[in-house]
Amino acid sequence: MKRRDFLKQTTFVSGMFFVPHFLKAFESFPKKTFSNKKLVIIQLKGGNDGLNTVIPFQNDLYYQERKNIALKNADFFKISDEVALHNSFQPLQKIYNKGYLSILNNVGYPNPNLSHFRATDIWQTASDSNEYLQNGWVGRYLDFIEGKPYNAIEVDQALSLMMKGNTINGLAITDPNLLFKSMYEPFFSNLIINYEEAHLSDHNLGYLYNTLIDTKSSANHIFEKIKTKNSTEEYPKNILGKQLKTISEFINSGLETQVYYASLSGFDTHANQPNAQSRLLKMYAETMEIFVNDLQKNNTFDDVLILTFSEFGRRLKQNKSNGTDHGTSNNVFVIGKNIKKQGLYNSLPNLADLDANGNLKHEIDFREIYATILDKWLAVDDTSILNKSFSKLNFI
Amino acid sequence: MKISHIQHLYHRVGFGISPKESLLLSKKSKKTIVNDLCNQSKKVSPILLDVSFLDDFTPETLKNPENKMLLNKLSREKVNSFSVAWFERLQHPTEILREKMTLFWANHFVCENNNIVFVQQYNNILRENALGNFRDFVKKISKTAAMLNYLNNKQNKKGSPNENFARELMELFTLGQNQYSENDIKEAARAFTGYNHKEKGEFDFKINQHDDKEKTFFGKTGNFNGDDIIDVILEKKECARFISEKIYTYFVNEKINKSHIDKMVDVFYKDYNIEKLVHFVFVSKWFYEDENIGIKIKSPLELLIGIHTIVPYQMEKSQQIILLQNLLGQVLMRPPNVAGWKTGKYWIDSNTIITRLRLPAVLLNNAQITFSEKGNEESTINELKNNKLERKTYLKVFADWTSFEVNFKNTSPEEMISQIISSKINAGTLANLLKNLHHSKKDFSIQLMSLPEYQLC
Repeated sequence: MKRRDFLKQTTFVSGMFFVPHFLKAFESFPKKTFSNKKLVIIQLKGGNDGLNTVIPFQNDLYYQERKNIALKNADFFKISDEVALHNSFQPLQKIYNKGYLSILNNVGYPNPNLSHFRATDIWQTASDSNEYLQNGWVGRYLDFIEGKPYNAIEVDQALSLMMKGNTINGLAITDPNLLFKSMYEPFFSNLIINYEEAHLSDHNLGYLYNTLIDTKSSANHIFEKIKTKNSTEEYPKNILGKQLKTISEFINSGLETQVYYASLSGFDTHANQPNAQSRLLKMYAETMEIFVNDLQKNNTFDDVLILTFSEFGRRLKQNKSNGTDHGTSNNVFVIGKNIKKQGLYNSLPNLADLDANGNLKHEIDFREIYATILDKWLAVDDTSILNKSFSKLNFI
Repeated sequence: MKISHIQHLYHRVGFGISPKESLLLSKKSKKTIVNDLCNQSKKVSPILLDVSFLDDFTPETLKNPENKMLLNKLSREKVNSFSVAWFERLQHPTEILREKMTLFWANHFVCENNNIVFVQQYNNILRENALGNFRDFVKKISKTAAMLNYLNNKQNKKGSPNENFARELMELFTLGQNQYSENDIKEAARAFTGYNHKEKGEFDFKINQHDDKEKTFFGKTGNFNGDDIIDVILEKKECARFISEKIYTYFVNEKINKSHIDKMVDVFYKDYNIEKLVHFVFVSKWFYEDENIGIKIKSPLELLIGIHTIVPYQMEKSQQIILLQNLLGQVLMRPPNVAGWKTGKYWIDSNTIITRLRLPAVLLNNAQITFSEKGNEESTINELKNNKLERKTYLKVFADWTSFEVNFKNTSPEEMISQIISSKINAGTLANLLKNLHHSKKDFSIQLMSLPEYQLC
């Protein structure tokens, strides 16, 4: 090899890639898939203020504790005699009217943690608040189905703990072409082509080569499927819009991915909350409206369930900076065609019954939602994935 | 001492060694080399950042919530600077064994905080005690502001106990799972009530909040405080075993060899002297057996610093190292939770394997890197505006090829393979390498460092 060629390899200059067939030998597909249903998980990072999203507009305590930031009549639209949604959620109204949205209130867990990172960790690993797990609930789902990396995709460049299992990890990807190109750099191809299958054992070197082969096989699978489908919908030009556009292309291409994960940050509204939250909720709602339309046009909406959560809610009492501080339980949104309990799943929090820190008390354990989805939607054994048995809910 | 054994020792005790240095050392005996390594680490060099920005804040000005938010923001940024300073320390360590052990303890006594004063104090306590007495070490950790906050012992008060610290003290820091009862946790938590700290991080024992009644812990009854509890725990040989196994996993092999561990426990249980324990490991014959060489998957930090040992490099924008650590799955000062990073195979997923293999090209050959700017839980909406789901960039890195040329001056290309790669090499990969021996040393070194084999040490 000439120096120039080598430099091309090491700098991974693209444009040299080709599609060899040797890979077929290595490709293997998941041993067990139990369901063709898809789950899209969206995290509103930073702790969305649920009380200003789903508004108890008849409750005096709400106005008393939030003198400056309580929403006025012009800021929300009513969905019942007591409950209203933030105006930014108007794009979701059609979805709501069709009965595709279920709002679960008071979702949390015992002894809540008020740190962003620890709370996210608890939601991602599905642990108790005094338990520390080193793999995530979606990762353990992959373990259970003996899946491939592409069975769970995070739209990012690095993988979250939620997507990491004991024996298999999901895949972080922002652009299938980029992944495909980088895997077809001659450098990677050479490594893989020269690796003897006989040595694919469980020692560490074998594991490294195997991961490379699995990655290439995932990149292949995604690239082959995806090239047929580019979304024609105009998604909002924000970071969540881009993620959901990617996910819609994956779903509409028939990718064999069961779980997708996307996120939107900025919800940590300690100061001047009203404008910031309004913009963020608008980004979320507009994106969801287009995403649902996109799936419907492609006849894939039937098989998709969208779960939106935030690592915690915010305190009832506002602070002195026209913002809110870290709280506990919160609302969770479930969007799908076959929702059993449309609209409000349960009643709004009792604002007169707070914990010692002035925070809301939880009624639904978030793992009951996971258990329900695993059991009823993804058709797997929730107990072995969540390491515990949780009662099931009725939203699907 | 055999060159290959010197390399093995230095991969584990530090982050590798240049051929020039290993040749120099090869005239010495194993015992002398290990003794020297220990002696060179007697000194403690704390990492101390300038935190004078804190002087601008007084209890009076902090009554304004906006000042408080500003303080938090500046402090968070300073924690990132500390992370960078720690990385640079690992690039240029004077006490190599001490620094490698500090990294070990940071993934044992796992802690995270956004207060720069607490973080700095905590990190330097890890460094000071890294090779000291484990008993003193645990007691000091239990009194640090960072840990009191992280595991909520600050909220642990007489009459309203918080068991978080007591539980993790036993499960993660000293004994491991299933070695204690729930009642032991309850009683231990009572002993740690009243632990608190002052504003600058000094320990503050609030006697009014301390439960001074009798406790029964591991069958012993007494008017125990936190230190007493730690003493009772350390009487159990399981504690010496738990730590020995973890050190064995870190320095020797993830596959535990019981007879090796038994010997380590005998050494450690006597007086819980950490330096004696690791010294024992490094002079033992089994440490140098083939089954223990070139089989461990490097942590992201071991990989990043390992490359630096071969070709010293410096990032032009020092904070960009955090970006790389993030893509590789290990950001200094930002552990996933108190259980720490899962090591070995768990470092590797589809994304990290690609990043790892491309890393030498990114650092040394100006290859492009792609990252995401989705923000995290603490990002604000204003930061969101310019964020990109996918940003491609080149890192500006100054690579010191002159040092490389000097260090590898007398090394032939064939020797470079064994100098840079310590694992067995896949036959097909080796055949390819042998075809490339005529490449420049510079290219060949990058090629070697880009292999799956280079992920092992």
